[in-house]
Amino acid sequence: MDTILFLAQTEEDGTLGKPALEALGAAVELNQALSGTLVAALYGAKVQPAADAIANCGASRFLAVAGEDFASARYATDAAACEALLRAAQATLVITAATSRSSRVMAGVTHRVGGCVDTHVSAIAADSGSVTLTRWFYRQRIEASLTRTQRPWVLLLDPGAHAAWQGQGASGPITPELITVPVTESMKRTAVRGTITPPADQQTIRPDAKLLFVAGAGWTKKQKDGQTHVPEAEALIVDFLHKSKASLGSSKSLVELTGENQSALRFMSHLNQVGQTGATPRHPKGLSTCCHGEEPHTVGWRFIGERRAINLDPNCGWARGKADVLYVADAFEVMSKVNALLGS
Amino acid sequence: MTTADQPAIERASIDVDIACVGFGPATGGFLTTLSRQLLNDDGSPAIESKAAPGLPLQVICYERADDIGFGVSGVVTRARGIRASFPDLDPAQIPMAAPVADEKVVYLLDPVGASRRSRALRAGDRCLRALGRILGVAHNAFELPYTPSFLHKKDGLVLSIGQFNQWVGSQLMSSGAVQIWPGMPVDEALIEDGKVLGVRLVDQGVDRQGNPESAFTAGMDIRAALTVVGDGPVGAVGHDLDTRLGTPPGNEVREWALGMKFVIELRPEVDLQPGTVFHTFGFPEPEIFGFFYVHPGGVASVGIFVPSWFDCPTRTVYRYLQHYIQHPYLWRYLEGGKLRSWGAKSLQESGKRGEPYLVGDGYARIGESSGSTNVLTGSGVDEAWTSGVQLAEGVLELLQAGKPFTRENLAQAYEARRRASWLEREARIAEKSRDGFQRGVVTGLIGMAVTAFTKGRLSLGSHPAKPCERIVSPEQFYRGKLKPAEIESIQHQCNVGGTSLHDSLMDACGWPAIAHDGSLLVSHQDVLLMGGKVQAPAGYADHVRFRDLEVCGRCGTKLCVEMCSGQAITRSLEGPPNFDREKCVFCGACMWNCPESVEGRPNLQFRAGAGGLHSAEN
Amino acid sequence: MPNPYHVVVCASVVPDPLQTLEPVTGPSGPALKNEMMLPAILDPWASHALYEGANLVKHIAGSKLWLMSMAPKAKLQQVMMTVAQKVPLQLVAVDGPSSGFADAHQTAHALAAAIRAIAGIDLSRLLLFGGWESASRSAGVTLQLIGEELGIVDQFQGVDAITPQEDGSFEVLERVEGARHQVSLCAGPPAVLGWATGNLGEPRNDPQVGMANMRTIMPALQRATAASISSDGLQYSNVATPKQQRQTRIVKDLPAEDIAREIVQWIKQE
Repeated sequence: MDTILFLAQTEEDGTLGKPALEALGAAVELNQALSGTLVAALYGAKVQPAADAIANCGASRFLAVAGEDFASARYATDAAACEALLRAAQATLVITAATSRSSRVMAGVTHRVGGCVDTHVSAIAADSGSVTLTRWFYRQRIEASLTRTQRPWVLLLDPGAHAAWQGQGASGPITPELITVPVTESMKRTAVRGTITPPADQQTIRPDAKLLFVAGAGWTKKQKDGQTHVPEAEALIVDFLHKSKASLGSSKSLVELTGENQSALRFMSHLNQVGQTGATPRHPKGLSTCCHGEEPHTVGWRFIGERRAINLDPNCGWARGKADVLYVADAFEVMSKVNALLGS
Repeated sequence: MTTADQPAIERASIDVDIACVGFGPATGGFLTTLSRQLLNDDGSPAIESKAAPGLPLQVICYERADDIGFGVSGVVTRARGIRASFPDLDPAQIPMAAPVADEKVVYLLDPVGASRRSRALRAGDRCLRALGRILGVAHNAFELPYTPSFLHKKDGLVLSIGQFNQWVGSQLMSSGAVQIWPGMPVDEALIEDGKVLGVRLVDQGVDRQGNPESAFTAGMDIRAALTVVGDGPVGAVGHDLDTRLGTPPGNEVREWALGMKFVIELRPEVDLQPGTVFHTFGFPEPEIFGFFYVHPGGVASVGIFVPSWFDCPTRTVYRYLQHYIQHPYLWRYLEGGKLRSWGAKSLQESGKRGEPYLVGDGYARIGESSGSTNVLTGSGVDEAWTSGVQLAEGVLELLQAGKPFTRENLAQAYEARRRASWLEREARIAEKSRDGFQRGVVTGLIGMAVTAFTKGRLSLGSHPAKPCERIVSPEQFYRGKLKPAEIESIQHQCNVGGTSLHDSLMDACGWPAIAHDGSLLVSHQDVLLMGGKVQAPAGYADHVRFRDLEVCGRCGTKLCVEMCSGQAITRSLEGPPNFDREKCVFCGACMWNCPESVEGRPNLQFRAGAGGLHSAEN
Repeated sequence: MPNPYHVVVCASVVPDPLQTLEPVTGPSGPALKNEMMLPAILDPWASHALYEGANLVKHIAGSKLWLMSMAPKAKLQQVMMTVAQKVPLQLVAVDGPSSGFADAHQTAHALAAAIRAIAGIDLSRLLLFGGWESASRSAGVTLQLIGEELGIVDQFQGVDAITPQEDGSFEVLERVEGARHQVSLCAGPPAVLGWATGNLGEPRNDPQVGMANMRTIMPALQRATAASISSDGLQYSNVATPKQQRQTRIVKDLPAEDIAREIVQWIKQE
């Protein structure tokens, strides 16, 4: 019988983030399908609030590694904590969210316990006791299902790929089994100093936004009058992002134009890039403007729910067959009207 | 800008023994032959470098494209020269190569009714249709009972030049005897006192106009005892040499063609033997010739050649190619196929008449830009390869004798070798074979046959005019089909919308709209993405420039816009056209179509540039 | 002045991202159609790692840079024709599969062995660089696994900057959620850094660098060790390109005001 370990880091306040709750949802579902044993394991500075919140998830054991040494996302201590939890749980399957923190350590942890690891998992299915996962290869261009015989098998579930666990909190407090992990000096060679957050007015990436606004290189190209209108494009996009609170994605070519200091949009950076060599964010809606491309250019909005596009070319490959609606129109004109309407 | 008037910039310089410009079949032949003699079996130098004493001969080749396999041509070739270099050649070792299995010449009738056919041709077509059953006319096509000897490629090979180049390049690199660097365009030749001293690479870290930016790196000077120029018919260095050192009296490239093709994955049930070859003529316009070559693995190269003597002032190729593949004779194989790749290339169609000085002090010319193409047999790859082999043999002779690369020595070692070979003999026969096309297709075809059967003693027609001298106005060309007012209105709409004329004019002439299917019949812009995969790395200057902007403003036909294979050059309301490097496939058609000249040179300047197609299947 | 580093950049060879990719079933599991014919490049993220590594080595005297890559030899040779013009490097070539479907654990094992075998390497000075993911397997695990095999417990992923300090330590910026960067200070090598894009542009092609590199690259290719990667215990099913085709409603000839109204309404819909 399988033992399924739900493994999660806790946030600063000791609670679980949304990706962790999604991983828990997947773990609970998988446990039911396999009629296995569910174990929950938490690590971080504080774990009690998280343990209490998921007390009803059906786990037979609650394990934890806690303390200030595990407050920040540091490879050496995180790996030691996760290794200890995996060993204590004796799990055959481990499910955790693919956060930046867990993605940093889980492959290493898996190596330590002699297991195998798969990341960017988008679905997990169990059929007659056999587990199959689905994930993307070649940057979201080829989707494959695979299974492994080796155990423990560690699966990192992509945020947004599964519904979050929505069970009720515990009636009484849970006392997790605390596992002691000795922290040696050599594990503290790295000190996490904090994070740098871009100023609010320059923040264009909003992972929780309802809308992803994709700007293509067309914004910087010569327009009908034979001239480029980059400052106008910049103003229109910034105004729209401000008013709509959308997240900004961009094509590779536009980001690279910016890197080359050519007449391009100043607020654009590699962090904005979506697609083959950029991010593939998940948002309920996406609006692409002045983008052009076929596969592989469109993988940037593989995980966007409803999609609309504004482009002058009715045959635009980015939109045709890929968007729900294509507006054949001048994005400069349309976006200025959109901004006016949003402002009123 | 020439070496002399370039502002003083600090440039690095390196010394090599031989610098080659462009990696195609000619340079492939040159380096293959040369590299085999440079090292002893124990790896020690067989010929010592003068540039780097103690080391083997330093031979370096710069290729403009991002990879040596990004060539643009699927060919059928008799491969005489190639087989001579590789006596044990097994085509199966070269991806997409197959021995020629079946070869047909096919006359395509016009199933659409929009083709511009002369009265004579229309009468001929009527006869063919009437006698269809007896003559075996089927699928709107008439298969000639035999392939004329001058056209046939019996015992030859169907090749993807991209894959062939990669195969040759890989062997060269692993020999360790020569270095090939793709992604490195050569700007110009270094010339002093009429001697070529090497080449200058393009500047990097510049804006579109060539002005230095933050990461500016001045193009390096590569000083070489011998510069081998094999950069093809639109290559910047070849043209630079022609401009600065002149061309032999009477020799000029006046005839060109633009070849454009698709590589198509055939639907699984299409059972065509690899090595099947169709040469076609008659459709979509009588002046347009076509080809269909079958590679192994159910893949075909299908394309057309639009010659410079096709007088249409909106010489589009892409739209015609889409109609071509839908001809019933071909569509029965191509329907349901999937576009794998697409590309376009200019062909030097003057052959020997366009021959430049083959040698000079410190340099030699090989390949298509050296006039090696045989215009009667329509064969260029094998001839280019052979010219490279001949130069290598000559160079080895000079190196072994310790002689310098002077004009006289190179003339004796290379030029004389070439003149005495089948390459020259057959080129002489072919020299005037296409003159008949100056008077029309039928005269042209008869002229080719006459030239072939008299071994070049007789020919029809007249000395060719330059492409720009032949161009007529749209009103003249479409007389009888479209009214001047109609043309004017189309022109106005295109100017306002920044689009090219040809689609609108073809629609107006009765060519049916293309029903896009998303996999083979796709828009011109999508083909760049699906089949061409065009790239334009930043930090390089635009390679298409307009010398005198006012001249462009006056230009009536804007042929550079009309014939642009990638829609990279577009109309603007005023002044010169717009150029978008991200769409340029480096076919070079804009250069030879430019109808305006400044100081005897086309107003449109086509320089060496980075990027272009990213497809190795061509 | 920081102590010299020994930087090893692990980089996969991946299909040129512009190419059409189609999976097929080969003799040893899934593969790409015409895999050997597809133009290849050095993985984009690993390329950033290479440029950052070369920059680091250039500024810290006595440092060395190796580029290690596992791919079929012919592909490696092709890719080196471009990469070798970028930065001075020594190639460590491993002749093996470059497929995204090859198992990461086994790949890491082979690469770790190749690093140990590098002549003159000092593992205590090692900075193991690579991309935080690749454009083939796209898993982001190989580098960590190599690090573990080599016993390195200071690891960073999604790195955008490394700044060496006077005392031999270095500061690292890693991408974390919400477009933020986590700032860490590491006491010194050995460490693993999986790079995102970094801050350096692609270096210009330098013919002198190319010529110098090629003297060592060809011998390195000739003595490339062969690695066989098995897929024991791993089984693929349903390897396919996504099929979802949307029925696109194409709106033409509608005034900009009306389009804007429709879009705003759509954005505001819950």
